[in-house]
Amino acid sequence: MTDTPTGPGGPTLAERLRGRSELGVCALLLILGVLVLGDALTMDTSFAQRGPVGPKTVPVVVGAGLLVVAVLLAVDVLRGGRGEAEGGEDIDLSAPGDWRTVLLLAGVFLGNAVLIQPLGFPISGALLFWGSAYALGSRSFSRDPIVAAVLSVVTFFVFDRLLSVPLPGGPLMGVL
Amino acid sequence: MRQRPSLPLRPALRTPLAVLSAALLVLLAPPLLSSGDGSAGGTHIPGLRFMVPNTPGGGYDITARTAAKSAEDADLADNIEVFNLPGAGGTVGLSQLVAERGNGKLAMSMGLGVVGAVHTNHAPSSLADTTPIARLTEEPDIVVVAKNSKYRTFDQLLADWRKKPHALPVGGGSSPGGPDHMAPMLMAKAAGIAPKTVNYIAYDGGGELLASVLGGKVAFGVSGIGEYLDQIKSGDLRVLAVTSAERPKGLDAPTLKESGLDVTFTNWRGIVAPPGLSDSERDKLTGLIAKLHASQEWKDAVKRNQWTDAYLTGKDFGRFLDTQDKRVDTVLKELGL
Amino acid sequence: MDSLNSLLDGFGTALSPVNLLWAAVGVLLGTAIGVLPGIGPAMAVALLLPVTYGLDPTAAFIMFAGIYYGGMFGGSTTSILLNTPGETAAVVAAMEGHPMAKAGRGAQALAAAAIGHFAGGMIGTILLVFLAPTVADLAVDIGAPDYFAIMVLAFVAVTSVLGSSRIRGFASLLIGLTLGLVGLDRLTGQQRLTFGSLQLADGIDVVIVAVGLFAIGEALWVALHLRTRPDQPIPVGRPWLGKAELRRTWRPWLRGPAIGFPFGAIPAGGAEIPTFLSYVTEKRLSKHRDEFGKGAIEGVAGPESAASASAAGTLVSMLTLGLPTTAVAAVMLAAFQQYGIQPGPLLFEREPDLVWGLIASLFIAMGLLIVLNLPLAPVWAKLLRIPRPYLYAGILFFAAVGAYAVGGEPLDLVILLIIGLLGLLMRRYGLPVLPAVIGVILGPGAELQLRRALQISDGSLTGLVNTPFAVTVYVVIALIVTWPLIRKLLPRRTEARP
Repeated sequence: MTDTPTGPGGPTLAERLRGRSELGVCALLLILGVLVLGDALTMDTSFAQRGPVGPKTVPVVVGAGLLVVAVLLAVDVLRGGRGEAEGGEDIDLSAPGDWRTVLLLAGVFLGNAVLIQPLGFPISGALLFWGSAYALGSRSFSRDPIVAAVLSVVTFFVFDRLLSVPLPGGPLMGVL
Repeated sequence: MRQRPSLPLRPALRTPLAVLSAALLVLLAPPLLSSGDGSAGGTHIPGLRFMVPNTPGGGYDITARTAAKSAEDADLADNIEVFNLPGAGGTVGLSQLVAERGNGKLAMSMGLGVVGAVHTNHAPSSLADTTPIARLTEEPDIVVVAKNSKYRTFDQLLADWRKKPHALPVGGGSSPGGPDHMAPMLMAKAAGIAPKTVNYIAYDGGGELLASVLGGKVAFGVSGIGEYLDQIKSGDLRVLAVTSAERPKGLDAPTLKESGLDVTFTNWRGIVAPPGLSDSERDKLTGLIAKLHASQEWKDAVKRNQWTDAYLTGKDFGRFLDTQDKRVDTVLKELGL
Repeated sequence: MDSLNSLLDGFGTALSPVNLLWAAVGVLLGTAIGVLPGIGPAMAVALLLPVTYGLDPTAAFIMFAGIYYGGMFGGSTTSILLNTPGETAAVVAAMEGHPMAKAGRGAQALAAAAIGHFAGGMIGTILLVFLAPTVADLAVDIGAPDYFAIMVLAFVAVTSVLGSSRIRGFASLLIGLTLGLVGLDRLTGQQRLTFGSLQLADGIDVVIVAVGLFAIGEALWVALHLRTRPDQPIPVGRPWLGKAELRRTWRPWLRGPAIGFPFGAIPAGGAEIPTFLSYVTEKRLSKHRDEFGKGAIEGVAGPESAASASAAGTLVSMLTLGLPTTAVAAVMLAAFQQYGIQPGPLLFEREPDLVWGLIASLFIAMGLLIVLNLPLAPVWAKLLRIPRPYLYAGILFFAAVGAYAVGGEPLDLVILLIIGLLGLLMRRYGLPVLPAVIGVILGPGAELQLRRALQISDGSLTGLVNTPFAVTVYVVIALIVTWPLIRKLLPRRTEARP
């Protein structure tokens, strides 16, 4: 983050919100911990167990650890500690987050998971590539679809035909 | 990427054209690239697929690929596609098979392990939901110890095991519910040892188990016979008993019955098909497997893989599946699984 | 030397034109398959098995060996370039290799990896020739308590990759351990965190977690903050390793086999733990510790060398004991059985031509691979020059192909996306992703070995410390943990030096 933590006296609204958003991570860890503990404690352990460590032990330890870390992290955040967002070559942290692109990419990826069986891999794969490229700012409508289609069909051919790792071929398989 | 500015097309036309050709490519290329399905005469079932419910290289995988290859070589089928759908000890594949109701072009290789996995995973579909085609091969389990173990006969081992079952760790190459787990549990039951007191330790396959047996980490190991033949011949392992009804060829070890335990147990593999097949569809699949079983190619493959032929078809195989299921169920219930 | 003579005979077998051809075919196939997502060497050998029925066994195994080693070389290529490890052995390569590639040092990262594989494979294979029987005897004596001790050591080592904020590092590690819990308990068959789903019963694969956190997570994170500047391709940089880089890499290359080879030979070995241990070792020993995480070449050289050496170690226990310690070895064992050959204690006596031909062909495969891969490094690196939208779209595309090809389950794609979103969240709030991946690798193994050791000792805690090996490892751990204290108590002169 580019801004530095200010004194307890006068944080701006934006800063307080930003500080709070990291509490979401604590909440996530808390939920995860409760989930793991709940799952472990409802486990049926009539199966023969030797010694102090059974199928419950490690989940209980991990679940408890998650709760402890959630609390410690919350304390750290409230005291002004802040996770340092990861930098990188292609990353511009000074710009505000572009959530639209992320949602678009996640949607395209999910679409691929839904469509891969009814429409077949060549179509869903091409849509995945084109959709992702579009979401990431590529606007070459005459080139992108062709690149996507060729990549998808070549991949299909290599996996399904050359390596016999079956991928769904699409609605016209067996018709033509 | 290549740009073709010289293309004599107005830019307005380029986009729809690109989209159109891309759409045609993804729609038409895959079916056209795939080879034709060939003739449908005789035993040939065009588009037949074998599902393998575990990973490439596993037991069911080798069975399915060998069967497909032998059928092709014997000219009983054109091109059987073998694909893997691993997960949850084979029950993911089983559920998929049951969902493909009425599909006469699908068969799944499976074995005793799937029967146990249905129980341990509380799977929604069971083998009773499938159309049984045939049992193909079987393999007895063996009870082995390292050459420097203090146990020289099965009787010595059994005496100790009865005295303090929990102090004798038993190693097996399968997870609970699998063949190497069932065998010692059945042995314990017959010997009057409560299965719950048996200290069974699951290893990830016969290979990992082998090290523990050789190193004396477990009191004895239970595993399929095929994996250990060489170690037995070299004298690194000593066989105390085999679980089959008769002594297998080329192995000098008593059966459990000879050792006074009334148990026979073999691990087997076979083929099942989706439910709801018409009689002709079922007969076609059974016919193909019957011809395959009679072919020289299959006989060679059985020999090469050191399998034991255990051919059983149709209704008999169905009844066999049923008894196996009940047997596994009783043991696992007693263990509280 | 007896084995030396046999090896020379083996070269005679392996250098016949036909076998040389199969070695070349195997090497090419292996490299290509390693580069493809979702298909590791194990799957490749299994798929090719029926094709090789017609070949004579020696030729088939020479080809398989080429695929195995070639897959190792190719596997790190996608890790480094696309941040998309195709198999577990290549996960560590992404950690330093990908940042190097992004900074325009992709060719050097690939070259360091290739030479690392060459060095590791060569040293490993030489150790295979001379130490095979000894190592095999020792490997059998390693049991559950010893494995657990090694796992504890690895967990202690994790603390050095937790990053600047300990709490956030631990949070990440615990997330990884949680992901590792999913699935059927291997010892008792209890469902854990599967929520009744059969697809989750086998747990979540390490590769899915690594691809989700590394590749999908990074692609989404970049999308969130994509630098809006005129499209500028990633610089390709110099194609070869410079003198300074060679000075930094030759020691890691030689250290890798010391860690990788023994791990490959032990029954529950594999390449994940040795590559990770090699990584932390290089990090500790490096003079450029601050560069780690941003593209330190030692972090590529050491682990890759360890990975190939562990492949050679795997062959030791497979050939001498008939003991498959990795998935590839298990498939190769099945292949041996197809030919009616039983690997095991009698193999060297019964099939000397085959075994020594195979071992000789390993050396030849190594030679072919380095000749093939070094010139390819700058070519591969140029792949990154494609425009950013295509690069990241391609990463998403290949990650999806890999996840789907393994099991054919659309659910795997959904899991991949969820883990990717988790990776995005972790990057946003400064949770390092590496400890999570390590948690998935170490957690299940450590639990399994701990409980197995306790079962063998019938519940007695002494079962954890009843072998000299385990005790030695715990002493080493105690020394590492207390070292900062000891150093303070020592006379001043150690502090006088910078």
